[in-house]
Amino acid sequence: MNISQAVKMAAKSISSNKGRSFLTMLGIIIGLAAVIILVSYAQGQNMALKAYYDSQGTNILEVSAYNWMDPNNSVGQKLYDYCLGMEEVEGVTPNGYVYSDLTISYGAKTLSRNRNYGMGMVIMGGGMVSSSYGGGSDDHYPQIRLGNDKYGLCNDYKIAKGREFSYLEIEKGAQVCILGSDTAEYLFSFADPIDKTITINGLPFRVIGVYQSKAAGLNLGNDEESQWMEESIKRNDQLLLLPSTMTRYFNNNESITDYIVKVKDADSVTKAVTDLNGFLSGIVDTNYGGYGVYNPGEYQNDQDEANALQQRFLGGIAAISLLVGGIGIMNIMLVTVTERTREIGIRKAIGAERRSIITQFLIEAAMICGIGGILGIIVGYIGTMVVTKLSFGLVLMPGSSITAGAFAISVALGIIFGMYPAIKASALQPVEALRAD
Amino acid sequence: MLIDIKDLYKIYNEGKESEVRALDGVSLQIDRGEFVSIIGQSGSGKSTLMNILGCLDIPTYGDYHLDGTDVTELSDRQLAHIRNKQIGFIFQGYNLIPALNARENVELPLIYQGIGLEKRHERSETALERVGMFERADHRPSEMSGGQQQRVAIARAIATHPSIIMADEPTGALDSKTGRHVLEILHSLHEDGSTVILITHDNGIAATAERIVRLADGKIIADGTREEVGL
Repeated sequence: MNISQAVKMAAKSISSNKGRSFLTMLGIIIGLAAVIILVSYAQGQNMALKAYYDSQGTNILEVSAYNWMDPNNSVGQKLYDYCLGMEEVEGVTPNGYVYSDLTISYGAKTLSRNRNYGMGMVIMGGGMVSSSYGGGSDDHYPQIRLGNDKYGLCNDYKIAKGREFSYLEIEKGAQVCILGSDTAEYLFSFADPIDKTITINGLPFRVIGVYQSKAAGLNLGNDEESQWMEESIKRNDQLLLLPSTMTRYFNNNESITDYIVKVKDADSVTKAVTDLNGFLSGIVDTNYGGYGVYNPGEYQNDQDEANALQQRFLGGIAAISLLVGGIGIMNIMLVTVTERTREIGIRKAIGAERRSIITQFLIEAAMICGIGGILGIIVGYIGTMVVTKLSFGLVLMPGSSITAGAFAISVALGIIFGMYPAIKASALQPVEALRAD
Repeated sequence: MLIDIKDLYKIYNEGKESEVRALDGVSLQIDRGEFVSIIGQSGSGKSTLMNILGCLDIPTYGDYHLDGTDVTELSDRQLAHIRNKQIGFIFQGYNLIPALNARENVELPLIYQGIGLEKRHERSETALERVGMFERADHRPSEMSGGQQQRVAIARAIATHPSIIMADEPTGALDSKTGRHVLEILHSLHEDGSTVILITHDNGIAATAERIVRLADGKIIADGTREEVGL
């Protein structure tokens, strides 16, 4: 008997016992759907966190150094120079804020901040940012930053139009600016902002670049945490970047004390932290100032570990449900064999070899699991969509590797759990089997 | 000599108090082309004898040569081949597979032989025509009468062109008219050269055979023509 014959026989047997076949499949369907939904959910959560962390810049260190006694903040300049000399550093930019209220306008469009609404941003230990927004144009009120020609590099912004600052523009304090995509869209709608002039508190600034959106196409889900992450990613697009030297103008000559240092790769981070701490402890007199080196990736690592643990936990639950499904299959296959003892007797009486019987039952089990697997994948996909709709956060549709893997597992389960009853059935003496009712 | 058995025993629970000797030292020779009836009351051991002759069961002791081959020495797999190629079974309960239609049931032993689709169809059609069931080839057993099912079972038995046809109470579940029809088919197969072994408890049916073997308590008590056996 060849395989195609065995497949036909198995198909016939399955279709002539639809009810029982379906009940057998149910175990696999539920098990597989659970695996797909849980894994998709866990992956979605990881993806959301990764998107959030990536939007905040990767392999960066937030460094601050200041000395109250020195209005020119020479420690800042020294830190800047030191970073440029560090082998593992790719770039460094001042990361200055503007604290006073500004009115930004282009033509009829105006953005202004009302102190009472505020842009209160509190950075809490792990990068949790709480913020409050007012209505109207405040929704679009930019995050005004003071940086240099490396600001885009250090914060993982990519130029969509125009260019970054030039070194000369920073040196001279040129009246130029770069816009985040949201700011550009609000002020210019569909017009090209490049070389247009906006005014900030009446002072003209020429737009020389627009950054790509970090939030484009982003959909992290509708639960509170995902919404919060999504909003903080979107806030990156509300940028208005000015040359760092403009701090003279907007911050009453206060010098910038915060820097963002971009290191080459994740492995260099630890060394950079050590080097920077060593350098800063030597140049900052802590009686009159202070310094800090903060590594946002550290928190990310903790989060990653927690996530991996959660994923293993969910995977374990899913694996158990698959196992239960598999045992269900073995049970049904045993019942099937008992029920069909007479048929096995007939088959043996007319010349079926042991091998043929085993093949038939194995293929039957594998087909049941295969069909159950396909149905399980369909249910898993639908379930994933439902979970997404129910707003439990970002859920990734299962990838082809998960799908293929889950399918392979379900067929393998069929073969493993179909083996025992098949062997048992094939070992019967024909005369014994024929005696069964 | 097609079938040659010597001092055959089938003993259940040997050595215990509940010991049963289903076959108790049976010797029997059957030639190619014979039509032999084996009769006896229930419990006489006739079904056990047929099961051993048909390689469905193995004897506790004794020799069994089938067409010169010592069957007691054969492996499970070789026995399956013998059942498949040399023996055609007809059972009292028909033993068709319910999920398969008549044609598929007839083709099943041919599938196990590895015969290709076209040849299989040809052979199953010939066999079904032979028993007058060609028109019902697409019917399942549940859609057929007992007599029709038995005719399909006969078609299955002859589709492989076996050297022996073994029929265990083939008319036992049929009314007398249908039973007679089935018997006629067996006789016509015999006329075409098949060896037929017919097991029955019905003297009238047994008497249609040229040779009759009577069993009682696991022993052969008579072997000969109708007159010699006393029917």
